Amino acid sequence: MLMQLTLGGLSQGMIYALIALSLTVVYRSTTVVNFGHGDFVMAGAFLSYVLVVLAGVAFLPAAVLAMIAMFVLGVLFNRGLIRPVRGGPHIGLALMCIAAGYVLRGIARMVWGREVLPMPAVFDMQPIFLGNLVITGDAVFIIGTVLVLLLILFGLLAMTDLGKMIQAVYQSPRGARLIGLNVDRFNDFSWGIGAALGALGGILVAPVSLLHPDLGASFLIKGFAAMTLGGFGSLGGAVLGGVLLGLAEQYAGAYLDSALIEITAYVVIVAVLFIRPQGLFGRKAVVKV
Amino acid sequence: MSQTKMPSARQRRLRSWLFWAVPAVLLLLPLATNPYTQFIANGILISVLVTLGFTLVIGNLGQLAFANTAFFGIGAYASAILAAKLGVPWLLTIPLAGAFGALGGFLASSAALRGIRSYYLAIITLAFGELMRWAYLHAKPVTGGTDGMPMPRETLLGTSLSDDTLKFYIFLAVTVLLVKATLNLMRSRFGRAVMAVRENEVATASLAIPTARVILVTFMWSGFVVGCAGALFARHVGHVFPESFGMLHLIASFAMVLVGGLGSVLGAVLGAVLLTALPEYLRAFPGMEELFFGLIVAGVLVAMPMGLASLLRRVSPIFVERFYREAP
Repeated sequence: MLMQLTLGGLSQGMIYALIALSLTVVYRSTTVVNFGHGDFVMAGAFLSYVLVVLAGVAFLPAAVLAMIAMFVLGVLFNRGLIRPVRGGPHIGLALMCIAAGYVLRGIARMVWGREVLPMPAVFDMQPIFLGNLVITGDAVFIIGTVLVLLLILFGLLAMTDLGKMIQAVYQSPRGARLIGLNVDRFNDFSWGIGAALGALGGILVAPVSLLHPDLGASFLIKGFAAMTLGGFGSLGGAVLGGVLLGLAEQYAGAYLDSALIEITAYVVIVAVLFIRPQGLFGRKAVVKV
Repeated sequence: MSQTKMPSARQRRLRSWLFWAVPAVLLLLPLATNPYTQFIANGILISVLVTLGFTLVIGNLGQLAFANTAFFGIGAYASAILAAKLGVPWLLTIPLAGAFGALGGFLASSAALRGIRSYYLAIITLAFGELMRWAYLHAKPVTGGTDGMPMPRETLLGTSLSDDTLKFYIFLAVTVLLVKATLNLMRSRFGRAVMAVRENEVATASLAIPTARVILVTFMWSGFVVGCAGALFARHVGHVFPESFGMLHLIASFAMVLVGGLGSVLGAVLGAVLLTALPEYLRAFPGMEELFFGLIVAGVLVAMPMGLASLLRRVSPIFVERFYREAP
């Protein structure tokens, strides 16, 4: 029982980690929290659905195509809509992101109406039985994909020149600009990566859940909860926060009350912000006068 | 700070005359409406209050708090529960619902007062709204769960309270009262302190203005106004459902605040009037509401960040309230 819950929690948590990470990538480089990110996740899921079910593309190329499309969308969004309101207060940026999210959601609903769509199973693997533990193909697929991706990402950041440059932009955009880095292009890049990673989250959950245009909202909150728990702005914290949140949901749902699964994320947000606002790995915010 | 010309004494007199002229003309409105347009007119009055409460917190106080939908739901449920379960006359539930809304405002501000600001405040208030919606769904014995709460039948002075004309006069009275009170509050020393907190909280505190109290009171007043609107809404639709207080309501409120102009009482009224009726016609086409509000918000942010109120201010100083920035 405990092992089964842990496996379920891990595979959910990996998705949350991915979404929290993609939010953090954008936040760290541009200081914008994308309140429309849930709908980017939804858009990724729908794009892969269109490609797989309607266009008949195989799942893997469909996933890659959907991520490329979302990368482009992220870049265009940053250039066309975020830049004009940059430099203003947070409220304009937050509202712009929310507005973009609603536009995506509106488009999805215009095309699909109020239907709920099942995505065909991608990974037709016989479940593996280990004692009482049932390991499904989906769980292996989700956990494996995210782990590989995380290794590549953190490896890139830590070991390559590109990674060093990105970290420089994270630490001080102005300083990075002074030493000749093209910060605007990095921002475009971050938005693109953020959108593509978020979309991947949607692509990965699509086969194990039902698709509907409102699916993004709950993932946005889960992503926030993971970020808050791990420490806002910390890449590693976002990943760990996501995994912990996934586990917490499963345990709370099984041992306390199944209705609690939906609100674990909200409770985590409220509790962390009141008790330890900097999260597990974040730095304490200091108001500079 | 803006270089807007302030209104002269004569213009200020004209303005206060105009303020009462608008509702006076509106008293005649039921003569010109059919039942459907009357229903929409009532909805517009509710939107005015919701937008007003919202713009106070995000425009005047400059806090990124999205708890507005929660205040609205709290007000509506408080009114429905008090009326249906405890038999309180609906008219009396309006201020009570406002009080519950203010309590919600107190809770939301307690986050802001713990130093949770900016994005954190946005996230925690979003979570607050969703937690409330979860509570409506799961506290079935009190809230009716997914079935919602029907409002009991009531009569007032021999007329049924389901009569839209009677509702219109009550809604109009409540709206005018709360708009006037808010205008006065924002014109007072307190209102200036609110805007000072928005511009620079640390500098405001250094002037011995109790910033914590200013934030607390603004949130509570916002909660009160929106809570009252919730009570009106409960009577307006006659049945309170959890779905009414979800994300679509939030984006609609954003659009109304922005189109009218952040931090402007006049703008709140304008935005609500313009944007309440339109979605009624879009509702038949799935997805159009989201698309419409999304595009409006994005368009206004890029093209006219201070909304319609900023255009009117340029036309005549009559429309100048106080202390605007010309960019959000």
